[in-house]
Amino acid sequence: MRMAVTTPNETALAAGRGQSAPRWLLARHEGLRGLILLAPALVILGITVIVPFAMMGAMSFWTQVGFDYADDWSLRNYIEIASEPIYSTLLLRSLGMAMAATLLTVVLVYPMAYFLAFHVHRNKLLWLIIITLPFWTSYLLRVFAWRVVLGFEGVINTGLMEIGLIAEPLKFLLYSRTAVVITLAHAWAAFALLPIYVSLEKIDRSVLEASADLGEGPVMRFFRVILPLSMPGVIAGTFLMFIPTVGDYVTAALVGGPDARMIGNLIQLQFGTINNWPMGAALAITMILAITVVGLMFLGLMLALKRWAR
Amino acid sequence: MDAIKQLAARKRHALNRRAFVRSLMAVGLVPVMSSALPGKARASTRHATVFTWGGFDVPELYQDYVDAHGELPDFAIFGAPEDGLTRLRSGFVTDLIHPCMGDIPRWRQTGLFQPIDTSRLSNWPDVIPGLWEEPHNLEDADGGVWLVPFDWGQTSITYRTDLYDLEGEESWDILWDERYAGRIGMLATGDDVWWCAAIKAGVPFEEIHTDEAFEAISAVLREQRPLVRTYTDDTSSLNQALASGELVAAMTWNSSAVELTFEEVPVRFAQPKEGALTWVCGFMMHRDAPAPDRAYDVLNALISVSAGEFLMGDYGYGHVNIRAFDAFDDETLEALTLSRNPSDILDAGHRSIPQPPEWSARMNTTWERIMAGF
Repeated sequence: MRMAVTTPNETALAAGRGQSAPRWLLARHEGLRGLILLAPALVILGITVIVPFAMMGAMSFWTQVGFDYADDWSLRNYIEIASEPIYSTLLLRSLGMAMAATLLTVVLVYPMAYFLAFHVHRNKLLWLIIITLPFWTSYLLRVFAWRVVLGFEGVINTGLMEIGLIAEPLKFLLYSRTAVVITLAHAWAAFALLPIYVSLEKIDRSVLEASADLGEGPVMRFFRVILPLSMPGVIAGTFLMFIPTVGDYVTAALVGGPDARMIGNLIQLQFGTINNWPMGAALAITMILAITVVGLMFLGLMLALKRWAR
Repeated sequence: MDAIKQLAARKRHALNRRAFVRSLMAVGLVPVMSSALPGKARASTRHATVFTWGGFDVPELYQDYVDAHGELPDFAIFGAPEDGLTRLRSGFVTDLIHPCMGDIPRWRQTGLFQPIDTSRLSNWPDVIPGLWEEPHNLEDADGGVWLVPFDWGQTSITYRTDLYDLEGEESWDILWDERYAGRIGMLATGDDVWWCAAIKAGVPFEEIHTDEAFEAISAVLREQRPLVRTYTDDTSSLNQALASGELVAAMTWNSSAVELTFEEVPVRFAQPKEGALTWVCGFMMHRDAPAPDRAYDVLNALISVSAGEFLMGDYGYGHVNIRAFDAFDDETLEALTLSRNPSDILDAGHRSIPQPPEWSARMNTTWERIMAGF
């Protein structure tokens, strides 16, 4: 770390006085210093992400034969994905459900983050802890809790029947896409909340005063100043939530019915009961590509909006 | 089922505890547990690891092992045996795993198993021979067996006697009854559903590999789908839904009906006129079992009288030890749909026939499509 504060000249002199070559190299090349600092992370990333990903990519071109694989490098799996309607339907449904859950979450947590950023002045940490408290419990417990809330004899159904609003329990609450979207929206809310809160918190308060001085009312101030400035957080939160929920299978397995099966359930079965790993790999790659395309479209939309707003 | 209610009084509390864990397992979420649990002293010798369904990891089934070694064996849990096999094939090693009789030829093709020397099991002479004397269990097993049988029973229908209006005889038609659309529950395991649907479609099991059979079975399952509220391997969910009246009938194994009767829910485990699906399951030993001696102790405990009394009295599954039946009178056994002579039950129903992996893959793929609505 001493290197960082010495000037190049001094170091060059030091090198001239017989310092070892590596130190001199380090001092001269900022890029090299950066690479060395990044090295541990890059190695871990390589071993745990890039190599398995490459293996999965390779496997997706193989074929399952009984209990073995034939590495015949064919496009058969992808052709099947493209030609059989079940795959595109499940993929589109998963993207749709993840979008619905993400939208619901962002709309619901934005006011929460807003309140936290602008109206809480003391004990902010305590507030943050209280708001994120539900996320301290296991993801599974939260999903099970929703079963208790949405179930046939659940809190909502018995409550509504008690008041006399309904005579029979509402069936669409559990084992449906609604149930999966509601559960996902709650279970992943913290991932959307925190980035939005951080970007709101960072907004320079003098900008808000300026807009008030220039005659903006509170509503226009929100739409013309606060919302645009917090968009980085909204976009980050959207991605953090959308990407993992597309591939979620636990929630669909526990609270979804026959019509709420997602692409994640199908991928899990390929690696399990159906026992066709190459197909599972091809489906996973297809899902990643689909998420990338949707993500890029979303970013493009945001950029277009930004340009239009100017 | 009054005979069963009498069994129930002392054991109600244990049921809920098991139910929650089992729900997690059904979606494949509980990995090897015991060895990772904190605070449990590791014995100097390694315990045997048993890879099984949730619910079979209770001390009552391993009493002799616990007496000898002071602790339970280690457990790993699967949602369905095929998932377990997938994990073994990708390198996970357990001493024992819990598939069923019809799986033996296909599972042996993986080369992951070793024959079991029955002369090392002191309880083996009490095991009912009809349950294990099958050609594919003895073939190339060096005088032993590939699978030590442990539990047997039926896949049939549990229905609410107060909510379901039965017309005529009990039949698989109960699960295809349009009057109860949206109140039918189904297992998700193809190994159960596909064969039961074959019975419903009238496909003889000998012809189940033909294209015609695939079409006929797919057709009845597609016809049923709009009526189905949920497909799940989580029997606790099915039980709860039957108890609350959300479902009026569901495809289940013996234990659902027995456990619900314990909870005084009016249900019956149907004996369909077309015959139920019957099965015998048990344990196979891994080729590279790390603790084979202890694995033999586990097997011996599982086929002991005390394990058998618990398995039949608490879960309602048939056991393999003939002396375990002495604890029950005929009326109780009949109420549990069991018999001292298992072939009375097993032969009255239909037993699946071993199939090659290609069939299995095709069946599971087709079944998954049907569940997803295609």
